[in-house]
Amino acid sequence: MLLRASGERQGTTYNLSAVTDADADAGIPFSALIRRLTEATVRNKWPALAALRDEASAAMGEQQMVDVLTVAAAFNGITRVADATGIPLDANTQETTVAMRAEVGLDAFDYGAKSARYDAA
Amino acid sequence: MYDTPYPVRSNLREAHAEAWRRIALPGAFWNGAERVRMVREARAALHCNLCERRAQALSPNAVPGAHDTATPLPAALTEAIHRLRADPARMTRSAFDRALAGGISAECYVEAVGVVCTSVIIDTFHNALGLAAPALPAPATGTPTGQALPKVVEDGAWVPLTAVDVEDGAFGLPRAPNIARAMGLVPGAVALFFLAFRPHYALRDVALSISQAQAEFIASRVSALNECFY
Repeated sequence: MLLRASGERQGTTYNLSAVTDADADAGIPFSALIRRLTEATVRNKWPALAALRDEASAAMGEQQMVDVLTVAAAFNGITRVADATGIPLDANTQETTVAMRAEVGLDAFDYGAKSARYDAA
Repeated sequence: MYDTPYPVRSNLREAHAEAWRRIALPGAFWNGAERVRMVREARAALHCNLCERRAQALSPNAVPGAHDTATPLPAALTEAIHRLRADPARMTRSAFDRALAGGISAECYVEAVGVVCTSVIIDTFHNALGLAAPALPAPATGTPTGQALPKVVEDGAWVPLTAVDVEDGAFGLPRAPNIARAMGLVPGAVALFFLAFRPHYALRDVALSISQAQAEFIASRVSALNECFY
């Protein structure tokens, strides 16, 4: 949702399907490399990340590489706050993202839907 | 912390060091030793055989067994911590309800969420930079501090949220997003978590070398990987 808002502020349209589709290009600089860095970080793939850090440093510069990891680490924590408390979407987001959530497949992450999917004994 | 040649920002180093120190202090509902144990238990979850077998099952509830624990924390809290650390995508209302049924109050639960999620940020960033997770802080002595009654309301989450005016700000983003209200039952948990989080990200004008759009893409990918609806 924030990626969409960021695009609106800049008058740019990003390919939001890249959030859930590994083959899609988000339309932002270094999106493929950022995706790999992020996924290795969240999935605890530390050996793979060692090589990725070198590759990303060469391509983006060391500070940008570190800043990608900086954001990924933060959201690895804050998504757990949301997941642990079952907070609903903010009202405005709820109202304005109906079509986008359906298109990108985010409704599958709704806490009610996850309970139905995962709480079977 | 962060003995690395990589360019880690000084404000982030300082914030993480302070958060690490505060984890070891008595909180409102848990003492310092218990809070440090929560971090130890969260780390143990990454090597827990039961968590690994559950991760491979269609439903985590279909796999019986006992966790590989590292601490004497209450079983219901240990279960919640392992789920939160090892399998956040499948953290459901029933998992929260089981914690309460196991004798963990909502306030104790929220304080634990704050400690664990703070440690996830700090451990993740260390590991991502190729560093070992930092040594656990030495717990301070003292009993839980208690707290003044927080201003909270029931507002659609599993726990009461901070009571605030949620009128919209610029760009359709609320001034008080629910994520900032989520741990309002324990204001100390909010303060601890956002102390560690704040140097990493901002909703606009992010103070990093990457663009706001790049930051949002990373945030979105992490949310998708952790199946976070919010």
